[in-house]
Amino acid sequence: MESSEPRTAREEWGTRFGFLMAMVGAMVGAGNIWRMPFTTGQNGGGAFLVAYIVLLYVIAVPGLMAETMIGRYTNKGVIGTFNQIFRSKRSQGLGVVVLIVNVALMSYYAPIIGWALYYAGHSLLMTFTQPGFQPQAFWDGFISNPALVIGMHTVTMAGIAGTLVFGIRRGIERVVKWMIPLLVLALVAVGVRGVTLPGGMEGVAFVFTPDWTSLTRGSTWVAALSQALFSTGLGWGIALTYGSYLSRYDDVPLGGGMFTAIGNTSIGLLAVFATFPIVFAFGIEPAAGSNLLFISLAEVFPELPGGAAWAAVFFISFLFATFTSGLGITEVGVTTVSEETRLSRTGSVLAVCGVVWLFGLPSAYSSSFLDQMDFVIGSFGLPLATLSIIALVAWKLGPERARVIDLNRNTGIYVSRWWNPVIKYVIPVVMVFIVGFGVVTNIGTENQTLVMVGVALMVALVVISTAVMGIIGNASSSPGPVSEGGD
Amino acid sequence: MVLSTVTWVTMFLAILALPGVASVVLIRSLRTEERKLELLREQGSIDSYSPRALQELREWIQAHPNDPYAPEARQRYNECVRTLREVDEPYYDWSVEQIEKLETIEE
Repeated sequence: MESSEPRTAREEWGTRFGFLMAMVGAMVGAGNIWRMPFTTGQNGGGAFLVAYIVLLYVIAVPGLMAETMIGRYTNKGVIGTFNQIFRSKRSQGLGVVVLIVNVALMSYYAPIIGWALYYAGHSLLMTFTQPGFQPQAFWDGFISNPALVIGMHTVTMAGIAGTLVFGIRRGIERVVKWMIPLLVLALVAVGVRGVTLPGGMEGVAFVFTPDWTSLTRGSTWVAALSQALFSTGLGWGIALTYGSYLSRYDDVPLGGGMFTAIGNTSIGLLAVFATFPIVFAFGIEPAAGSNLLFISLAEVFPELPGGAAWAAVFFISFLFATFTSGLGITEVGVTTVSEETRLSRTGSVLAVCGVVWLFGLPSAYSSSFLDQMDFVIGSFGLPLATLSIIALVAWKLGPERARVIDLNRNTGIYVSRWWNPVIKYVIPVVMVFIVGFGVVTNIGTENQTLVMVGVALMVALVVISTAVMGIIGNASSSPGPVSEGGD
Repeated sequence: MVLSTVTWVTMFLAILALPGVASVVLIRSLRTEERKLELLREQGSIDSYSPRALQELREWIQAHPNDPYAPEARQRYNECVRTLREVDEPYYDWSVEQIEKLETIEE
């Protein structure tokens, strides 16, 4: 909400609408627009959606409440929050882990934003409706041209730096207040166009006719679980960072939990509406995977009446979705670096964006490296970051203590005791299960080496970060009193 | 193509459970912001806990008097009680009788 009585000189969101759009914008990304439609297609359509909605309400909503709350409570970035709650320099290393995971995530996400930028640019040039346009050749030509992909990656990082340098209110908020409503309108427009195409309703039937046998398959639930957790960005530090810019009078459960999780998924549902009718109307394979967006859908625009305009609407909305996520992921690093160092906001933005750009070069250069990064960070880094952040509330602050002191403060809805076991047991168990499931199902496959690398990397990251922060802490000051979990 | 009843029902439920709930939450969140801002402009402060939440906070403080977070909890509890006594119009649904019964906790 509009800041009326700031506690500190720290910046706050200008409006409630701006905060809500920023949260949704940060969480809506490639995961919703690109991954959700093809995951739905691969996992039984309507049955997948049923499983997804159940898990969203049971896990993602309460989890995001916890993460946003801890940000508002401490008014600090990830490292500062770990320091304040654990009161131990060694545990502050877990904040460093979250920060490193974010930078690693952004290093391969930025080239993907570059892809979206390239396609959005070409949609404005009406490339996709030119005679003789070949989507597969266009994609291959782009992705196998390192100079072009690195150029797009560079432009992307420059755009993100240029936005973040203006800060929360004049930078992020000003951009997302326009981009997210436009994204929603664009997806609705494409969805309406899709269902009015001959054969488009078959796509609707495929998505919403539940194949109940899919609900008895573990793979459907695991896919729904991964989608519910990863598309909502739970535990990545974004909700914590954005929550830290809330005023004391702001509500957390309604906006930080419910709206963020459900609003973001609603956009995922709109993406399903926007793609599946077109997919069926043009006879495209619904389980086409990542090719669905960049190759298969690009193929249909020349066939669509007014195809050039629809291509522009679709790819620009995809660019908005990925760009606003990029802002959120990068801001985690910017906030933390500016708090933990003597750098100014501008210096922190340049430093973080520079590091992301540099570490993003291999992913921009090679899409197979990008895939490997996605596998390692997605399978191990993000669950580790989520576990670290949830551990703050679940095992250190304590869910009951967090709930009565802060979560229900200035809230628009009352959160009762059901929240405690979800935070303390369900989410940690689910995260461990996802990691374990990923390890077990990839043993004996081509990903086996990556699994070993991922596990080793994450263990090393935790050990080194906590050890280094412990040494720094012992050298500089003695730790404060350590408190125990509340319940 | 004609959709089956099950398909229509599933689609309706998905729209209700996702965009429907999100729209309601968005509108409610923006309205509560308007009301808070209005009260803050008029009164300078607002009560920060609902009757149920404040009651739980009091119970927690009484059950954990030596908790490291108890001083902060007491401070927040007392701040809410004092605000409720000062303001003309509470933000949450407090009755005059409920406010009169409230007592601050020794910090």
